[in-house]
Amino acid sequence: MTRFHEAAGSVSRRALIVAAASTVAVAAFGGAAARAQDGLGTPEQPVEVRMIANEAFANQWQTLMVPEFNKAYPNIKVTIDGVPYVELLAKSMLDATGPSPTYDIIIADDPWVPQLAEVGALMDLKSAEAAARTDAGYDWDDFNAAPLAAGEWKGVQYGVPLRSNMLMMFVNKALYEKAGVPLPTPDLTWEQYLEQAPKLVQDTDGDGKVDAWAVDTYFVREPLTPTIWQTIMNSNGGQLLDADGKPAFDTEIGIAALETHRKLLEYAPTGAVSHGFSESLQAFRQGLVATMFNWGSVYKGSAIDEKTTTLKPDQVGIQVLPAGSVGPGAHRGIWNGTVSAKSENRQAAWTVIQWLSSKEGEAWHSANLGVFPARKSTLAAKPSVEWLGPVFAALQQAYDAAEKGKMWRIRHPRSDAAQQILADEHSRFMAGNVSAAEALQVAAEKIEKVLD
Amino acid sequence: MTAAALHPPLRRRSRFGRKVRIAAGVFACLVFLFPVFWMVLSSFKEQRDIFTVPPTLFFTPTLETYVSYMQRADISRRLINTIIVAVGSGLLSIVAGAMAGYALARIRLRGAGTIGVLILLSRGVPPIALAVPMFLVARSLGVTDMHITLILAYCTFLIPYVMWLMRGFFLALPKELEESAMIDGCSRFGAFFKIIVPISMPGLLSTMIFSMILAWEELLFALVLTNRYASTIPVAIAGIAGDTVNGANWGALTAVGTITVIPVVVFALLVQKWLIQGLADGATKG
Amino acid sequence: MSTVTAAGARRARPRAWTRLSDVASRWAFMGPAAVILGAMLAYPIFYTIEISFSRFDLMTFGAVEWIGFENYAHVLDDYRFWSSMKVTLVYLVFALPLQIVLGFGIAFLINADWRGRGTVRALFIIPMVVAPVVAGGIWRMILDPLWGIMNWVIGLAGFGPLDWFGDPNLAMAAIVIIDTWRWTPFVVLIATAALLSLPRDLFEAAEIDGAGWWSMLWSITLPLLVPIIAATFVVRWLGAVKMFDIALAATYGGPGGATNVINLFIYEEAFRSLRFAESAAMAVIVLVLTMLLTGLFLFGTRKLEQRY
Repeated sequence: MTRFHEAAGSVSRRALIVAAASTVAVAAFGGAAARAQDGLGTPEQPVEVRMIANEAFANQWQTLMVPEFNKAYPNIKVTIDGVPYVELLAKSMLDATGPSPTYDIIIADDPWVPQLAEVGALMDLKSAEAAARTDAGYDWDDFNAAPLAAGEWKGVQYGVPLRSNMLMMFVNKALYEKAGVPLPTPDLTWEQYLEQAPKLVQDTDGDGKVDAWAVDTYFVREPLTPTIWQTIMNSNGGQLLDADGKPAFDTEIGIAALETHRKLLEYAPTGAVSHGFSESLQAFRQGLVATMFNWGSVYKGSAIDEKTTTLKPDQVGIQVLPAGSVGPGAHRGIWNGTVSAKSENRQAAWTVIQWLSSKEGEAWHSANLGVFPARKSTLAAKPSVEWLGPVFAALQQAYDAAEKGKMWRIRHPRSDAAQQILADEHSRFMAGNVSAAEALQVAAEKIEKVLD
Repeated sequence: MTAAALHPPLRRRSRFGRKVRIAAGVFACLVFLFPVFWMVLSSFKEQRDIFTVPPTLFFTPTLETYVSYMQRADISRRLINTIIVAVGSGLLSIVAGAMAGYALARIRLRGAGTIGVLILLSRGVPPIALAVPMFLVARSLGVTDMHITLILAYCTFLIPYVMWLMRGFFLALPKELEESAMIDGCSRFGAFFKIIVPISMPGLLSTMIFSMILAWEELLFALVLTNRYASTIPVAIAGIAGDTVNGANWGALTAVGTITVIPVVVFALLVQKWLIQGLADGATKG
Repeated sequence: MSTVTAAGARRARPRAWTRLSDVASRWAFMGPAAVILGAMLAYPIFYTIEISFSRFDLMTFGAVEWIGFENYAHVLDDYRFWSSMKVTLVYLVFALPLQIVLGFGIAFLINADWRGRGTVRALFIIPMVVAPVVAGGIWRMILDPLWGIMNWVIGLAGFGPLDWFGDPNLAMAAIVIIDTWRWTPFVVLIATAALLSLPRDLFEAAEIDGAGWWSMLWSITLPLLVPIIAATFVVRWLGAVKMFDIALAATYGGPGGATNVINLFIYEEAFRSLRFAESAAMAVIVLVLTMLLTGLFLFGTRKLEQRY
């Protein structure tokens, strides 16, 4: 893996190119004042901006968000193409590295910003060029630190948080009452949780068969599954990488966290070892499990929306994950809005994501689409609907926990390769093929090679 | 004479044996259709009713998933794209592939065997290794996100299959057929299209249905080579399954799954009816 | 054709022309397929081979430096590659024969001369049409130990639920079952077409000679079907060796890599980990192995065809 060395060697050259390019851009931008107006289009000549986004919300944005945006900027036509989540990064990369990319805006998941930035695909959102187009009222300091950091790489801000998410703990209060177990609080520790877990495996209808379990979450072979282990480890003071960027998870804390993750299986429904995002959601929404560790954004579909869930709003609690020695756990998953560095419509593109991440845009976004905000002001304001109140409170706690414990995936130009290795070794351990120590040791060796 | 030759064997069989065979065949068909039945059933359920313990057979059916998904412009656009691409690549590959298969089976041609085997072996390349370079080429030619690009890309895996299957069908035909035709003054092409093609209809149609189905459900090339204007249904399905906001919506998935099955089944039923009808007509005339 | 000289051209024209057009018409049959495939595949295959020997640059999606077998060494050094190869082998050994035997058996059954046969044939292709993602999901629903109908039925019979996707062996069995469900219809489709095209006079002659049902099947039907059985096998083999969608949808390659077939691994390395060079090296290895085995099957096919 000598690749990274070369990449590092060429950084200065690349920086020069980027600097030169932005100088030219700024010159062109400042040189023709009339052109600046063109950047946002005119009624006769609207600007067309194309966006590549997760299929899960591309359609929602196209039909609901774009018309709202067009009320403020009628001359910027936004077209959003949805791509399935697992292929989105590769597809964005393929497009953005071309000489004239199709997409002006790339919606990048949390660990993708370094990967896209490293190939020169993204525009610096705090550069002079972007600043000239940034509204005076656009308050950078209002963002919570953790979500804003997801769009940063090597000191440059390439993205702004558009849809924030956090791994949270969901609670089925009815099952807790039935088992006579006190409802969890943010102070609940993993030890206490595991002590209570056996009582939450219960027979609710008295037919002699267990029909409710304590927990469901990610166990399957999947890149997001290790995030549960990572969170447990982080909340006990462990880290994925050390200061030199070398794997640092192959420790007592890491091993203990991995074993805790597998211990959850004992209190999970039959077949949970093949459960991931969707399966644990199904189990929770059917009222089969007392707690679920999953992404906070699923709250609406699990507690409010009658078409998808059997649970009632007052039945479902949400909070941070149980605490370790350092504090409670959470794990960051931010969708960043980024602008393609090679786009011809950079100004219009930045205007789009700037509007959506502005105070007004974010307030509209969270009130109307239920999307989690990243700004302190939005979180502190009274939410549009009552059920968002406790959710926002939990979210704010999660941001703070994530910031404190550095609870996010590896940030590196090859972070997805590293995460895939973690998923592989994690799954081998879950299936009982290797010990926790061996799984982490192999993962550390492989990841060191990949990140080198 | 050709029509008689087409007619299936195994006529004089005891009534009982025939009935057992039919019953067993229908039973096998039902077993294979059960998951499809489950898919269609689930498509009428609300998301919350799909994963109940024990499984629900009686529920309040809803058409809402169908209505809401059919209203989404991209589903109908993608359905049309899928039809264009499947029919286009099915037809192109059946013509090119059947001719190549005939060349391999019947025409003595130095080097053709090698080319044929090479064509077949080209199927050994994992699709992912083809999709990325194909995209790079398409990008430099400016033909990404176009139907024709996808049709040609699909031909790379359809033609070898068609060629090899049709070679098998042609080999099973008696050689005298086209020899006598060519003595009667038919050109090679004439013999192929007037004699061989009609007599190989069952094989040609089955192979074409197979090709169209492969194109119909292909995901990887569609994902890499298209963005919007030529995007197909499997891409939409992958998106619904990988919903990272609300979890896989199985109501929607099974509904869209059912919608995509219907056109192919209708097409296959029509073809079968026509084929069996043709065979029966031939039998009475023969 | 090549013997035609300039001097003799005029005299020989009619004959030369006929020969030329004859050769051209022969090649015209091979032409379209060869041209389309050559144009579409030449560069991608060259590209894959090139980057498999190179350091890969994501900025250009191209090779930057020739590094010989380094990528191959990485791949061969990775236990995941070998375990994927093993998993693929197990899957092929179980799935392929099962599908061929089941497919031809069912084709024979439903080909009885009755009215509903066309409909049954048409309905039979539905499993193939269901998108792999949906197919994997439906089977997950059916086989799930909690809410699956299969385990509910097993439970009624008094047996405990089977954890189809949690146990490595059962997970492989589930993959084979789903794949067989999806692709046996293909074999049925081709096999019924083959049975329909069999010349009837042969069977009538045999019946007049007093041949029994078994001897007709064994000495007439099967030999006539050999080319098409072999072709079906080769086509199915080339399809199965590339299977990854079902594993991705049903088991995600787990538990612990128990169903991580080689094409799933190649896909993940390329599309998830963005390690295109390593992925290309694996693709080349798989290509070479597939070519060798396909060559072996073709050789076997030829021997069989000659025998009958």
